[in-house]
Amino acid sequence: MSEYVLSTPLCETDMRRLKIGDVVYLTGDIYTARDMAHLKIKSLLKEGKPLPHDLAGAAVFHAGPVAMKQDDETWKLNVIGPTTSIRMEPYAEMVGRLGVRAVIGKGGMAEDTLNACRKYGYVYLQAAPGCAAKLARGIEKIDSVTWLEMGMPEAMWGLKANRFGPLVVGMDTHGNSIYKNLYSSALEKVNAWYPAC
Amino acid sequence: MDVNFNEIVRRQVNQTVIRAVTEISEDVKGLLEAALARESNQTAKNMLSAMLENLSIAKEEDKAVCQSPGYPTVYLSAGKDFPLAEVKEAILGGIAEATRKGYLRPSMVDPLTRKNSGDNTGRGVPNMEYEYVPGQKYMDFIISFKGCGAELGNAVQIMTPAKLGENLNGLKRFILEPVLNAGGKPCPPYGIGIGIGGQMDVAAKLSRKAISVRRWDDVNPDSEMAELETQLRDQINSCKLGAAGTGGDTSCLAVKIERAHTHTAIAPVAINFHCWVARRAGIRIYHDGRIEKIL
Repeated sequence: MSEYVLSTPLCETDMRRLKIGDVVYLTGDIYTARDMAHLKIKSLLKEGKPLPHDLAGAAVFHAGPVAMKQDDETWKLNVIGPTTSIRMEPYAEMVGRLGVRAVIGKGGMAEDTLNACRKYGYVYLQAAPGCAAKLARGIEKIDSVTWLEMGMPEAMWGLKANRFGPLVVGMDTHGNSIYKNLYSSALEKVNAWYPAC
Repeated sequence: MDVNFNEIVRRQVNQTVIRAVTEISEDVKGLLEAALARESNQTAKNMLSAMLENLSIAKEEDKAVCQSPGYPTVYLSAGKDFPLAEVKEAILGGIAEATRKGYLRPSMVDPLTRKNSGDNTGRGVPNMEYEYVPGQKYMDFIISFKGCGAELGNAVQIMTPAKLGENLNGLKRFILEPVLNAGGKPCPPYGIGIGIGGQMDVAAKLSRKAISVRRWDDVNPDSEMAELETQLRDQINSCKLGAAGTGGDTSCLAVKIERAHTHTAIAPVAINFHCWVARRAGIRIYHDGRIEKIL
């Protein structure tokens, strides 16, 4: 298990070096995107319209912050932590094609993401779940917000990160997934205790 | 009705709502500390330490523990002459205040249009579970904000006598399958509520109530259920999914089971995950104005 501090734009070579269990801290640009932002990006791409941000080399964070609007109309981050990533599984290919290099979330993702990680060279990073106050210390400021009409959680927030983490590589570019490995060995145990009918 | 008493109820309920969203219940914190003390996996140790550190930071900086407010359900049991309208008003006031202060992210949406109400209000929010108990001289008020990533792992099945299996092995497998499928998604180390009996709605409500109202470190007075709770918790932990679902010794802090009688043809079973961020608080209010903390 190695530890890395990586800065955006993230490069494919660095991503392909990472292995499951490695610990990563991220510095630079992180964009939040949950269900609605992914749907929105999908429909913009379909219509051939431009996206608000170039996501090549970026990190996408499955998260919606608690942010407070200031008197000068800027936003101040209160707390932020990961949401359950599996809901974004249908967009694995799209995320890869956009050149995203790291997806941050919790709970892991499935086979389509694992294949896309290998094909496009991106990794899945697990943040500590339910640790929004601690994780917020790794975010210096909110740079931008897009699609606020979709609501605070679902808007796309541009964040400036400074050693954001720790993040554990849950799925790497070599076809390995911590979640898949744990599932397989756990299933063997359950089958031994209570055989499937 | 006594105006002063109504005012006490209003203030106490409001304070309990704020307490629920700014800290996790002490029983769960104790279980997290115990899990960290016996953990052997380094990644899991880091995750559990991060969780405990997060609680300290949230307290120190007066911030929400988790960015997601979850979804609120209120459990209220009372005898006669309790000001229930005031209670509802105080809950809504508390939620509005907590949202304004940044403890709760505005997260309630229409289920189909997905339009966010912007202030955590909405149709049917919070879910109110009222129970009238004749002769009860006090009112128990518990509010629970349960995370919704955990909801994705929930399952319900109308089992049959055949499906329950010998030694309840069919039932146990039905509970362990969602555990495997959920993996790290419900923010482990989680608690699991299991409701058995009634019809589908009864089993589902019991499953939510079991893990929301009971202390996670209690012992079920129903000894058969106590044994089943311990067995399931230990088996889930020996699957080694760990804190955060990235491997380790503790993924499940508690299993709580509640049962009700059902029809002879069926055995409805519901399994309900509760993330480790156990934001819940409860008080008992007596007619004479005395207050006890119950959760």
